[in-house]
Amino acid sequence: MLDALAPVGSAGPLTGGAVRPLSAGAVQGADFTQMLAQVAADAAGSIKAGEAAAISGIQGKASVQQVVDAVLSAERTLQTTLAVRDKMVAAYQEISRMAI
Amino acid sequence: MGPLALLGLASQHMKWLSVRQAAVSQNLANVSTPGFRAMDVRPFQDVLQRVQTDLATTHADHIAASPLSAASSALRQADGSDVTTSGNSVNLEQELLKAGDVNRDYALNAGVVKSFHRMLLASVKGGA
Amino acid sequence: MIDPLQSALRIAGSGLDVQSARMRVVSENIANASSTGSTLGADPYARKTISFQNEMSRAAGAPLLRVRGIDVDQKPFRVELNPGHPAADEKGYVKLPNVDVLVELADLRETNRSYQANLQAVRQSRELITMTLDLLKA
Repeated sequence: MLDALAPVGSAGPLTGGAVRPLSAGAVQGADFTQMLAQVAADAAGSIKAGEAAAISGIQGKASVQQVVDAVLSAERTLQTTLAVRDKMVAAYQEISRMAI
Repeated sequence: MGPLALLGLASQHMKWLSVRQAAVSQNLANVSTPGFRAMDVRPFQDVLQRVQTDLATTHADHIAASPLSAASSALRQADGSDVTTSGNSVNLEQELLKAGDVNRDYALNAGVVKSFHRMLLASVKGGA
Repeated sequence: MIDPLQSALRIAGSGLDVQSARMRVVSENIANASSTGSTLGADPYARKTISFQNEMSRAAGAPLLRVRGIDVDQKPFRVELNPGHPAADEKGYVKLPNVDVLVELADLRETNRSYQANLQAVRQSRELITMTLDLLKA
């Protein structure tokens, strides 16, 4: 079950390490909350970066290419964080289904 | 070369090509200006070297040295092939050939970026 | 140079402007190659010339080409003996424009080539911008 978390670490290169790889230690409720919060923050951050680049582009301060690069990068980060979130939620559900 | 680095390289190349497009446009606009000497960008390799050294010390996602400033400062006067009596060294055919090269290379790089971006998105999407 | 592609577009656009201005001047010279005056001893059409200059543009972040001015060629007029002509002087000589049609035609051809080349540059810069934006499409 912990192995289900491992593939998420391989999503790291997509964002150049913006998403921290999950540790293979004992999983607890508090850890999951923290990690989900981190994932949400990363997603929000990359969307903000894409927005800022788009605004700069409209103001004429950034080149078309810079805007496109930022938006594509935001897309990749978002995709990764969504995948991480989904995997973490699935793993947590699996754990919570286990008999005590 | 990892996918991110490849995307970064393609992006650098496109910036360099954009600056070259500006140089070619400048040459074509001044095709009949007396005393004007044709300009061109330094080879991509040279510009890349300058950026590589900065890449090694910074986060992979953020290129500290603006390749734009590196490339634009790399505009130089082309080795004058023929200089007319008016001092103009622009060769119209050569500039149009350069423009064709820029077009082709830019399309190639854009294609690479598009494909690899899609592939990266798809590879992460697979199964929750 | 914030956006080199935008700069390229403006630079090529300015080249287009000056070459089309030059075409108008050369065409006018050709059209008036035989335009004499209509009164006694009057001057004929005088050949026009055009000059360009580079002006730094902050918007483009690069020097743009502009028409400096349209001047009159000071070359002396040709004269022809034609006593019956309305513009003939007391001695019967008519002043003809200082325009050499062959020179003007060569000029026109060269200007057209430059114009086409700049047009090509404008189109290509636009295309490169479109290619970049297309990266955002699915």
